[in-house]
Amino acid sequence: MTITFQNFTAALIVAASSTAFASSARAATAIKANVNGMVCAFCAQGIEKRLLKLSGTKEVFVDLKKRVVAVEAKDGETLDIKLVTAEIVDAGYDVTKIELVPQTVADIRLETKAKK
Amino acid sequence: MKFLKLAVVRTVAMLLALVVTQLSYAGPMGFKDSTMAMGDFSANWQEAWVNYAITPRDAFGAGGLYMRSDDQRLTRSLAEVTYTRLAKRWNGEHSQANIWLLAGAGAVKGNDFTDTRFMLAPGISADFETTRVYVSATARLYRAPGINHDFASARAGFSFYETDYDEVQPWLIVEARRMNNLSDQTEITPMLRLIHKRYFVELGVNNSNQTRFNFMYIF
Repeated sequence: MTITFQNFTAALIVAASSTAFASSARAATAIKANVNGMVCAFCAQGIEKRLLKLSGTKEVFVDLKKRVVAVEAKDGETLDIKLVTAEIVDAGYDVTKIELVPQTVADIRLETKAKK
Repeated sequence: MKFLKLAVVRTVAMLLALVVTQLSYAGPMGFKDSTMAMGDFSANWQEAWVNYAITPRDAFGAGGLYMRSDDQRLTRSLAEVTYTRLAKRWNGEHSQANIWLLAGAGAVKGNDFTDTRFMLAPGISADFETTRVYVSATARLYRAPGINHDFASARAGFSFYETDYDEVQPWLIVEARRMNNLSDQTEITPMLRLIHKRYFVELGVNNSNQTRFNFMYIF
């Protein structure tokens, strides 16, 4: 079996791509919370503002009807569930469920709007 | 003794009236570390204040209030410092209810006396809202030596439809309010309310055909 330079290069590219995909898949996680008390945008915008102030936040999504708040970390950063919970509580609301989900905020936005 | 009994009865009646009748705005303070500006402008009532929430439940601020009697003979100008306390909040799955305590202290001037008097303005407010329905009531005492302009208001309304977080939501709100020793009638004002993320505006015309404009803005 002869390994040509072209085959070796292709194998390296495939390996690198796989690694990048896995890394990307790992990065594609968001914190998704169900929140009680969000009844109007004027009231709930405190949540968005406080979460966007966190240094690791890339994007925030708020859905009043579904009571969902989702926050995604910047690439290479992580967000602490306890910290996100505290920010929502400090904005004046109650968190009834919070979890890490293997989705981006864009995914959650699409999924939530599709359910309406 | 008879005077004492009367005073006790009046005090209890006043407290009951406060608890029963007072309900208010969308919320007289913002979230922790936020600054809220608010204005309420009509011919006989012009008020503006700003406060800063140092905790999720406590805000300090300052404001000014101009009041005028229906017959336009009496005027009052109050400059006050304020403290707002979120006494209790109930966050429901699709609702929120609050009880707010308000305290104001400042200097009041009037066109029927020459000195500046110290005014205290404690109050209480309660509200309940869902994404479609809103009710509130507020009561505040405006007391200074020789002056009693106690105030009470009630509001109710509904939104025309539900909206997403990033959309403007229109509401129809009707408010009834009275102020002691300045107005003999209950002012009724139907208003169109528009709510968006950072602002809240109301525009209406009261039963004396006077225009009214309210706003709130969170920085």
